[in-house]
Amino acid sequence: MTPESAAIRIVDLHKRFGDLVVLDGVSMDIPKGRTTTILGPSGTGKSVLLKHIVGLLRPDSGQVWVGDVDMAVASERQKLQVRKRFGMMFQGGALFEDLTAGENVSFPLRYHTRMTEAQRRERANEKLALVELPDVYDRPTSALSGGMRKRVALARAIVLEPEVVLFDEPNSGLDPLTSTTIDELIVRMKERLGITFVIITHDIVQAVAVSDQIGMLWKGHLVAYAETPAFVDSEVEIVRQFMARNLHR
Amino acid sequence: MIERLEALGRFGRFAAAVGVRLVTPPWELTAALAQLGILFRRCLLPVLATTTPLGMVMALQGLAIFDLYGAQRLLSPLVSVATFRELSPVLASVLVAAQGGSSFAAELGAMRISEEIDATEVMAIDALRVHVVPRFAAIVLACPLLNFVGSLGGIVGGWISAVLMKGEPSGIYWTNLFLLTQFSDLWGGAIKALVFGAIIGLTACYQGFYATGGAPGVGRAVNDTVVLAATTFIVANYFLTTALFGAIGG
Amino acid sequence: MEVLAQVGAFGQFVARFVRSSLTHPLPVRRTMEEAYRIGVRSLPILLIISTFVGTNLAVQGYNAFLPLGGQSMVGMFVALAGVREMAPIMVASMVAAKAGTEMASQIAVMRIQEQIDALQVMAIDPYWYLVTPRLLGILLVLPALTMISIFVLMAAALGVSVAQLGLSSHEFLVNASNAARPIDLFFCTIKASVFAVVICLVSCFYGFRSGAGATGVGRATNLAVVVSAVVCAVLNYVLSEWLFG
Repeated sequence: MTPESAAIRIVDLHKRFGDLVVLDGVSMDIPKGRTTTILGPSGTGKSVLLKHIVGLLRPDSGQVWVGDVDMAVASERQKLQVRKRFGMMFQGGALFEDLTAGENVSFPLRYHTRMTEAQRRERANEKLALVELPDVYDRPTSALSGGMRKRVALARAIVLEPEVVLFDEPNSGLDPLTSTTIDELIVRMKERLGITFVIITHDIVQAVAVSDQIGMLWKGHLVAYAETPAFVDSEVEIVRQFMARNLHR
Repeated sequence: MIERLEALGRFGRFAAAVGVRLVTPPWELTAALAQLGILFRRCLLPVLATTTPLGMVMALQGLAIFDLYGAQRLLSPLVSVATFRELSPVLASVLVAAQGGSSFAAELGAMRISEEIDATEVMAIDALRVHVVPRFAAIVLACPLLNFVGSLGGIVGGWISAVLMKGEPSGIYWTNLFLLTQFSDLWGGAIKALVFGAIIGLTACYQGFYATGGAPGVGRAVNDTVVLAATTFIVANYFLTTALFGAIGG
Repeated sequence: MEVLAQVGAFGQFVARFVRSSLTHPLPVRRTMEEAYRIGVRSLPILLIISTFVGTNLAVQGYNAFLPLGGQSMVGMFVALAGVREMAPIMVASMVAAKAGTEMASQIAVMRIQEQIDALQVMAIDPYWYLVTPRLLGILLVLPALTMISIFVLMAAALGVSVAQLGLSSHEFLVNASNAARPIDLFFCTIKASVFAVVICLVSCFYGFRSGAGATGVGRATNLAVVVSAVVCAVLNYVLSEWLFG
């Protein structure tokens, strides 16, 4: 892939918390318009990597290029500009408990667009329909099941029609059936919206099902990164162990 | 309304259960003493850091009154009586509620949420006896202790303000203090602190023990503890002042 | 050492908050919501506490002046102690315990559930969104609550002086109005505003710094109320010395 087609380019990223080295020189290009999954067991710094991409964490050294902005050294103002082109679905949903499901979805619209209340409602309902939750606008957030929360969070992540959507463990805490639904949603949305998706997960089944390419993070290093078919046949020992253990379960 | 009554009934049963375990063996003495130590260390500085400036303020305002009548020598007994009887018991207890009570509510609440309390009971161990009674006893004992320390802080605060900053003579301050402060002021304050301690202990343990709804629930329990305990003992304070120190006009 | 680090972190927090507030529009509607929430929720408890602090002050003053034969000075004692000191500090402690802890625990929960991260990813300044309306709301409400508390406290003290202590209501009122000047009410407003800022910023600060899990939220809430109470008590002396000294 050429550098121009990279939506996000990570260069030699290092991050440690106290004595704990979490990222130890990670470099990767995440291409535009495709789905990239970063795989790895829990505690290997996948979430940390994701938080660097949106500039929630500052690296010790290295660069995180989003377009022509290096998030590692960007000002708050620059970061805000970049983030307006991003959507992110958090692990626990991170929905605001004092708002209804629909108000959560239309929340970014309230602050970043000049839409009227009715227009916001219409747009939010449109996105909710896309995640197959057509009638939940006025439902209190506390009354949503785990799977519904994730889908509302997904609707909120795409409501501004972003260029890049990031997923932090989209399947964690979900039963297999709901997980499959989320996977299907991701695939279908990519086809329809042409968005760049970045997913971090420890769920190999999901990774294979939805991604164009897969990277594996292990002890702070990117030990493998390839197109999905090539990744599945990877000769890297850790990847094979990880795949074997997960597929047997 | 019915919900309120139900909660009140449950609180009553809880209080009775704690009371019974408090007076019957086996006692978890080591646990109680450990909790008392933690509580005392945690509250000591906040108590001193509030009673001392309030003692200073009281001397400041007291001087404003006594200056009018040329009765500055009465300042130290005013400070000491007010500190022993009112200021220190109430303030020390407010801080024990805010610092100790709320942290106990948070601990018990976290134990409830993470099913530690259920686990204790499944192991056929009396959760009230092991987790609640030591904490309750620690709070009840900590209040009078901290009240005593707080009283000293208030009196020293008064001295700082009157003697160091306003130039009143130090000898007169201390002489009149010992002359006009009565022993009943001391133990009256201690009894108050003991009662407040019981109110805080029961409220905190009850709120924590019955916390529901994850981390937000624990936050709520902590919040309710401070507010409920403080309100209850400020109401109780008026009746205790009247009962202990007597004030029925002719 | 750790205290110094916390003071430094608090300074950074305040600086970020001020910058965020100045570079964004005024959140009028959310400020009103917060003011309503803080004011209305704290009012019932405040009324109860003010009543009983008033009655207690009267009894306390009576006892203090009885040996000197100065029972009639109860009105003056209640006015000075109640208006200048007790009402502002008491309202502040109560609001710290109720609204302050609520701020701390709400924000702490938002922190651990990644809601604050979500705000940032949605390019909404969390300091402006969460702290600014709370600060403006509490600034609107705390002085008003203090005035209400003063009124209730004086009324309760008057009631007890007449009914329980057998003093004349006329004497009480004359004494009280001689002691507390109208300007004192204005000074109380200053005190209340300072306490409002302290309570809100301290509580939000600990909320933002919350550790993980239920334990983290409990601890943040706990620190919020204790630190605000101590800082208010110390500032109270400084303010009293400056305003009344």
